[in-house]
Amino acid sequence: MAAPFGKFCPRLSSRLSPSFQAERCTTPKVSACLCSQQATSPSAEGVRTDPLKPAQPEFVESREDFKWVERLIPRHQIPPIPEHPNYPTPCGWVPPRDPPPDLPYSVRRSRFCHIPVYQRFRKGGSRKQTVIAHIEGDIWALEKELEEFLPAIIGRNPAIQVNEVARKIVVKGLVMEEVKKWLLEKGF
Amino acid sequence: MLSVGHRGVLMIVKPAKYSKALQRLLVASMSTGPVQVDIPTSQSQQQTDQLTVMSSPDRPILRMVDKTSLPRSRFSQPVYSWLETLGDIKDEKLGMVELHPDVFATHPRMDILHRCVRWQYLYRKINYDFARTRAEMRGGGRKPWPQKGTGRARHGSIRSPLWHMGGKCHGPRGPYSYYQYLPLKYRALGLKVALTVKHSQGDLHIVDTLEIPTTDPEYLEDLVRYRNWGKSVLLVDMNEEISENVCEASAQLNTINVMPLVGLNVYSMLKHDTLVLTLPCVQKLENKLLYQDNRHSHGAKGTITADRDVFGTWPDK
Repeated sequence: MAAPFGKFCPRLSSRLSPSFQAERCTTPKVSACLCSQQATSPSAEGVRTDPLKPAQPEFVESREDFKWVERLIPRHQIPPIPEHPNYPTPCGWVPPRDPPPDLPYSVRRSRFCHIPVYQRFRKGGSRKQTVIAHIEGDIWALEKELEEFLPAIIGRNPAIQVNEVARKIVVKGLVMEEVKKWLLEKGF
Repeated sequence: MLSVGHRGVLMIVKPAKYSKALQRLLVASMSTGPVQVDIPTSQSQQQTDQLTVMSSPDRPILRMVDKTSLPRSRFSQPVYSWLETLGDIKDEKLGMVELHPDVFATHPRMDILHRCVRWQYLYRKINYDFARTRAEMRGGGRKPWPQKGTGRARHGSIRSPLWHMGGKCHGPRGPYSYYQYLPLKYRALGLKVALTVKHSQGDLHIVDTLEIPTTDPEYLEDLVRYRNWGKSVLLVDMNEEISENVCEASAQLNTINVMPLVGLNVYSMLKHDTLVLTLPCVQKLENKLLYQDNRHSHGAKGTITADRDVFGTWPDK
């Protein structure tokens, strides 16, 4: 038995080429590793063809149990939201109104069906902004309504920026929850 | 037509070479005040024939958009396009095709188109400029003359950047690549905006197949001229196996090009005046581009296999 392969593991033999195996020791050496115990354990059939290779694990094929595996496979496409008996759902989600409200603008939901109002922290956290995205239609009409709605929350003239190219409105200040509730009441 | 050139020299310019827009510009630039230019707008032969062709008001909608995938918004409604044929020079409309608004009627984002075109140019650009430094120039190891006593300026090597034939100090160093990749959703949005621009400007045509009766390139030229499709046309088919007639005819023409759907890109869409898609292409495009709107951002490992599961492999069988 060659020195570097003192503890010759039968499991390793399956990865070695047949010619290489022929040069090395062919008798299985009994060692303390698990695979050798598998190699020496008797199979259901009786005599195994190759004593160097471990016994095939016994398994039972079941198609019904695959559902436990399918649940774990990560999904790529976002599934449609199922119908709920009552809204809001236990987590607080409300679907958009159907048919959509009759306003000169529209605020589309995000891909996860959330209202697209986000907080933004820039300049090391000192610049705090609220962004309303996915706006369609007359963006200035929405800006005008915000000018009427926000002073009650912010307390003074709100600084609002309209980005017509990206279809966003940026408000200075953190008013995310109030704006989300306001848009929800409108039916978006 | 006369044009005032450099140093006020009058040049006689052939009007036929210049487009109507340029003619207006040239005439306006010659004059001192506002100019009323009445260039007769020639109606295309097709427009006069269309009055006879489109006699029946009902045109069947031959391809509908999946209603479940439509957004719930008053401002995002499906748009429509004619379904045409290339089988005859005279345009015969087979019906209407409904198109998804998120693909063919997005907000026109010119900035995204610009970025996509710049990306397409830059990602494969390699700058091979290379300038040797004083260490890499041949020679220059020895001090040319002693430090003191010669009356000349002090120098340490004949290849310093001060010297003629010396090394470059802060020059370009070696191959430099401009490789970058825009985010996948950004590139998909670029395609959507380009399709929107083409459709809204009337430069998108949907045909049933790219089959034409002859291999003669003149047939394609006549067809394009009759239908007033512009100077350059991009024909897009589903797979790489495109009908032979179209391939042979377009191979002899510079301005009419054929492409499988895999090769559709923003630069080519903007470069060619007209875009012609086959009907199966429209479905596949919508599937692929809308998937980017409806997928998880941090997808699992093996996103490519997931795409394969959803769409199948190229070519579409």
